[in-house]
Amino acid sequence: MASSKENYRVELRAAARQLGDRCLYSAAKWAAELLVGIEPDAAAPSQPAAMDTPSSSGAGPGGRLLHLHRSGGSSFRRRMRPGGGGGSEAGTPLGGVSYVSTPIPDDDAFDAGADKYLLAKTYFDCREYRRAAHVLRGHVGRKAVFLRCYALYMAGEKRKDEETIELEGSLGKSNVVNQELVALERELSTYRRTGAIDSFGLYLYGIVLRDKGCEGLARTVLVESVNSYPWNWCAWLEIQSLCTTSDILNNLNLKNHWMKDFFIASAHLELKMHEEALKRYERLMGVFRCSDYIQAQIATVQYSMRELDDADMIFEELLRTDPFRVDSMDIYSNLLYAKESLTALSFLAHRVFLTDKYRPESCCIIANYYSLKGQHEKSVLYFQRALKLNRKYLSAWTLMGHEYVELKNTPAAIDAYRRAVDINPRDYRAWYGLGQIYEMMGMPFYALYYFRKSSHLQPNDARLWIAMAQCYESDPLQMIEEAIKCYERAANSNDTEGIALHQLAKLHSMLGQSEEAAFYYKKDVERMEVEERQGQNFVEALLFLAKHCKSIGRYEEAEHYCTRLLDYTGPEKETAKSMLQGIKREQSGFPSMDIDHFAL
Amino acid sequence: MNVFAGVRSAAGAEHKDAGGEALLELTPHRMAVCHLVQVFAPQQEGGPATPPFPFESVAHHNRLGLFLFSLTRSCEDFLEPPLEELLRQLKAVDDLVNGWLCEQLTTTLSGLISPDDLFNFFDKLRGVLTSPEGASVEDEFLDPNSQLGVYLRCCILAFNSMTFEGVCHLLSNLVAYCNSAETAYDLAEDEDFNSEMEMSDLMDADIGVRAGVFDKYGQGYATESHMGESSSSFIHAPMSLHDFDEDKIFKADENPTCLRSRWQLEAYLNQQADILEKDPSSVPLNSFNATMTQLQTLAPELHRVQFLQHLNALSHDDYVSALDNLHRYFDYSAGQGLFSRSLSANQDIIVGKYESALLSLGSLHCYFGHPKKALEAFTEAVRVSQMNNDDSCLAYILGAISNLLSKIGISSTVGIIGSPYSLGNNSGLGTPLSIQQQLLVLLKRSLKRADMLKLTSLISFDHISLAKFDLKHVQRPLVSFGPNASTKLRTCPADVCMNLRLSSHVLSDFGTGDLSTSHDNGSFSTSWLRNLSAASSSWCSSSAKPGKQIVNDFDSFHFNAQPSPIPTSVLQLAGSAYLMRATAWEHYGSAPMVRMNALVYTTCFADAASSPELSLAYVKLIQQLVVFKGYSVAFGALKLAEEKFPSSTNPHIQLLKMQLLHDRALHRGHLRVAQQICDEFGVLSSSVSGVDIELKTEASLRHARTLLAAKQFSQAAVVANSLFSTCYNYNMQVENASVLLLLAEIHKKSDNAVLGLPYALASQSFCKSFNLDLLEASATLTLAELWLALGSSHAKRALSLVYQSLPMILGHGGLELRARAHIVLAKCYLTDPEYSVSEDPCAVLDPLNQAAEDLQVLEYHDMAAEAYYLKAMAYNHLGKEGEREEAAARFKEHVTAVENPRDEEASLAY
Repeated sequence: MASSKENYRVELRAAARQLGDRCLYSAAKWAAELLVGIEPDAAAPSQPAAMDTPSSSGAGPGGRLLHLHRSGGSSFRRRMRPGGGGGSEAGTPLGGVSYVSTPIPDDDAFDAGADKYLLAKTYFDCREYRRAAHVLRGHVGRKAVFLRCYALYMAGEKRKDEETIELEGSLGKSNVVNQELVALERELSTYRRTGAIDSFGLYLYGIVLRDKGCEGLARTVLVESVNSYPWNWCAWLEIQSLCTTSDILNNLNLKNHWMKDFFIASAHLELKMHEEALKRYERLMGVFRCSDYIQAQIATVQYSMRELDDADMIFEELLRTDPFRVDSMDIYSNLLYAKESLTALSFLAHRVFLTDKYRPESCCIIANYYSLKGQHEKSVLYFQRALKLNRKYLSAWTLMGHEYVELKNTPAAIDAYRRAVDINPRDYRAWYGLGQIYEMMGMPFYALYYFRKSSHLQPNDARLWIAMAQCYESDPLQMIEEAIKCYERAANSNDTEGIALHQLAKLHSMLGQSEEAAFYYKKDVERMEVEERQGQNFVEALLFLAKHCKSIGRYEEAEHYCTRLLDYTGPEKETAKSMLQGIKREQSGFPSMDIDHFAL
Repeated sequence: MNVFAGVRSAAGAEHKDAGGEALLELTPHRMAVCHLVQVFAPQQEGGPATPPFPFESVAHHNRLGLFLFSLTRSCEDFLEPPLEELLRQLKAVDDLVNGWLCEQLTTTLSGLISPDDLFNFFDKLRGVLTSPEGASVEDEFLDPNSQLGVYLRCCILAFNSMTFEGVCHLLSNLVAYCNSAETAYDLAEDEDFNSEMEMSDLMDADIGVRAGVFDKYGQGYATESHMGESSSSFIHAPMSLHDFDEDKIFKADENPTCLRSRWQLEAYLNQQADILEKDPSSVPLNSFNATMTQLQTLAPELHRVQFLQHLNALSHDDYVSALDNLHRYFDYSAGQGLFSRSLSANQDIIVGKYESALLSLGSLHCYFGHPKKALEAFTEAVRVSQMNNDDSCLAYILGAISNLLSKIGISSTVGIIGSPYSLGNNSGLGTPLSIQQQLLVLLKRSLKRADMLKLTSLISFDHISLAKFDLKHVQRPLVSFGPNASTKLRTCPADVCMNLRLSSHVLSDFGTGDLSTSHDNGSFSTSWLRNLSAASSSWCSSSAKPGKQIVNDFDSFHFNAQPSPIPTSVLQLAGSAYLMRATAWEHYGSAPMVRMNALVYTTCFADAASSPELSLAYVKLIQQLVVFKGYSVAFGALKLAEEKFPSSTNPHIQLLKMQLLHDRALHRGHLRVAQQICDEFGVLSSSVSGVDIELKTEASLRHARTLLAAKQFSQAAVVANSLFSTCYNYNMQVENASVLLLLAEIHKKSDNAVLGLPYALASQSFCKSFNLDLLEASATLTLAELWLALGSSHAKRALSLVYQSLPMILGHGGLELRARAHIVLAKCYLTDPEYSVSEDPCAVLDPLNQAAEDLQVLEYHDMAAEAYYLKAMAYNHLGKEGEREEAAARFKEHVTAVENPRDEEASLAY
């Protein structure tokens, strides 16, 4: 076990260094974070860095990384050589699955262009992309080629962002494209054909293809990239964004590296396969016990599964160890919103505001805070700011839709929801929101389309089925049978609020199907007993059951329900009393009535 | 980025009309046009008599002016043409000065290489507009308020208000624009490029409609080859349509800012919508969608595109995508701008018009044959539009509901339109109305609203619907009390005629009404521009060959290129009125009127007509042909029609073909073939009850007739009876008349004349109350036959009945009916004991000869045999043995043809 952990460390160290060397900052960040997230070995005196607790972050990681790179890099060289050919170095399986070991590629030897490369990298670090690319022109080393292309791509992206602001024509925003894409694609595809491309180049080629809209090819290229160099988390993320259905996910031809577990877990989370995601993350926790990333992901899964308290605890812990974290904090804010804990939310908002106020997540958190305070105009303002920073920020669109609903600005709400849906057609919340708005506008038939869409995406969510049923049930439509079908689905998929059972019972009694009605009332009563909720619905159910039992001659049951009704005040009590008398009379008086009859 | 952009700017800008060019975006194409205007503008040296420098004559000068005028107004595509295209068009004007203009244009444009050059360029432009010092009023200079002047001023204004970034963009676009002409062709090497576009093209190629990608491409291609003949200096390698397409798309990607003005875009979309409506099969599903997607990425706030995608999906029967696009469109646009073609465009609405979404949804369900869902949607639409006080939409909805009700059979009325808001209760009656009465109430209400709101096209539509209603239904007074209430249980042809006449008023009303606002949609100049090169090529060739002098080349502009000033939708409505007239006369039984109206339709409205309607007119004409001229002529005509509308894609033609084949098989006695076609008929209609009612009725009617011909009387009667109850259920009284007649026929053939009589009488009275004169004559004839079958004592009565029906039959009846009448007439005489052949042989022989002749054309063996038999009998009485033998031989011929049908397979061919 210890050696396998050591293997992970070696791999991640090298990866963080190599990624950082190629200016793939966020991937390097991810690798480094994961590196310190590996559970420290109890007996590893040779690795002083691993003894560090992960909580001592801040300026630490950078320095430590350098240090690790020096010692770890050399030890890695020593080890890899003998084991490079055979499969003996295969990593220890996490859950009984054997991993394919991927040799860490050697970097280009420091050739004559090394100094130029250094210069280019410093330019890149200073965000002078074109200058960096210019320095590296004519260099043929793979590393140099990659950095040059990447710098060009970044320059194009920067220009694109500028142009988006410059070109706001009368026909809405015209589609600004990265001007470098065509040239880059041509160059990279040539390299790929001749085989003169490394995994980083493939990654870049992949994103270029994605930007051009060739998604299928992009997926293939990115898979190629991660198969030859699995530690580039950004490449995995790109693949994930291209996997919109589980079918695509299952058909990916991925090598079985341990990084794949991270990818599959994250993809499952995205595809709302929460159970699977949670299982996988918990297994990964075995090795990366201190990883903040996994913690945050687990918390996200739990939030999606509506286990708010567990998720809350994890997020709190995360914030304690890493107080300047902004990643995934928007989900935490959603959670706090759902729990309606104003103080915690304001605290979080203040914290991220101080850390980095121009992050979309920060704006979203502040917007959530205002929304919870009931100041919807301000909330909309901050959501708009978040969307300005990232136009494809899905949850902000949906949440802004909610705010517009509160503001009674239906066209704007519809627009916001619709944009969310167009960014990700699997966002059932936005579909649901659209349905709700149309229902509010008195168009239940029109709304049905949206509810249908949302329940199709989230078939086990009782709320969606109930919403649909309410549409069918509404005055203008009056399609009771369809409503009953929907309520049945809702009742079968864990309806926590218990609306479905009550409505089912009511609708069945409306249709005169008293057997079915009694069945559902009884179930409803049982549920309310378990949950110890006894309101008007409870009384209503008891009353119906009492009457029903009486009418079909099950007097004892009827008596039972009537006596329970006596515990409540109101007109039902009187009804119960008189019914009890009636029952008694019928039970005892039935023969006497016969006698009376004969006497007459 | 403004998140309101989707809602507000769309709302605001959608209503920007033709005048909205004030804020145009400056593009290289516009600069090129500016430069040409500058060349065109007269310089002050040289008096007004002589044209300015490069031009040879005043006419030549004017020619460029006209060209520029149409350039500033044109909208052929949503992208501006590349320089190459402009040069090609310019060549038509330029040929006289040996390409001086083209050369000058390219050198000037490619000479602009720094931002400062641009500043100078526009400075020079300003000089064109200001009149020189000391110039008197009479001196010629470009009027700043003319079309070209305004255009120049707009461009200058746009440049002046540009930021430096904008100038830089313009410059880089300009460089790309100039280079595109030189490098347009070596870009195709990029193999992965636009693989999706290629895919969609290939998919369409499979469907087999590739040839018609767009009219304009075809047009462009044609003119190109034309140009190749006349001007050898500008040779186009003949490209396949496919390359052409890709080439265009590629450039679009390179220059994403090269869009046209909003007004022109809308005009383009309207054009496409018209094409979709007119002939959906000519628009390939996938490549049209690809074009629309491209347009959408270029102009994301132009939501109309989604509506077009909806229409496209609809016309290709793609339910899911039609539904998706419908919802997407209305989510984004909140229903704004959909009716901007017919409603006044300047309403400043903030509230979403979601009722129109429901209206479209209802129409979608109606189109796909979901009557229940459609009604739900319409009911909701009525409610919402009442809530939002949207009267015009309400009027449209009422029209749509009545369309639905008349189209789709709904047997049980109760509970379908149950909403108290929509119907029923408002009419002040406690009792539920029958579906027909509801329909009438709706139509009248819709008409009233449309009249109040001056919705010309809706008025016309409602009139047509009313005519359709009057044609088929007896109007009962809604409230009738006591004995005084007159109940005239007849349809009223005068009403039908009046409604049809009123509906044609749309042709004269559209100018004053709501349609005029959107009339100028740019298509005018477009087709002008398109024809420019075609016209001028003939002009060039005429100057080369002086022998073929064309008097005035501008005439060709005016007469070839000028599109009809009447909007297509209006023409379509007016045309529908004529088609409806033809149908009405078909019912009332006047063959010449049917022919005339159908001919009017095919000659006058063919350009605007949608392919289903046009094919319907063809069908009517061919049906007339078969009735009056026999099968060979009709099949010849059908072949011609099929060339225009392939029967595999056009349901009308397909149906007609099967009808003709079935009739002929029945006449020839090829019963197996007839049965086979009957089965095919049954497959055509949808299995959902209430949908395709007319088709189903026809299928079982033909089934019964086949059974009758096979002498399986009881089965035929069963089928006819069930058909009768279906028709009764769906309130199809007109169909009932013919079903009853068929029942009478069945009983007659099965020698149950007594049983047949009541059916014939009932049919007759149905015909009377619906004014179906020809059918009534036919019923009278059947009645006569039935009387005749009861014995010779009834011959007199039968004869008088035949005489009663003869004028109608001889005037308007087809071959078969006339022959039948003649035979019955002869039979009456022959059975009449007071009549003897020898006294008046002509009374019998003339009609029989006529009948035999007619039946020969129809190949109706059964009846022809009867005619010859009677003829032989008559000759026998007369003692003319030769003629008798001849007639007997013909009789035998026909009988064997019926009994031993030969080459049945041939009946399926034509």
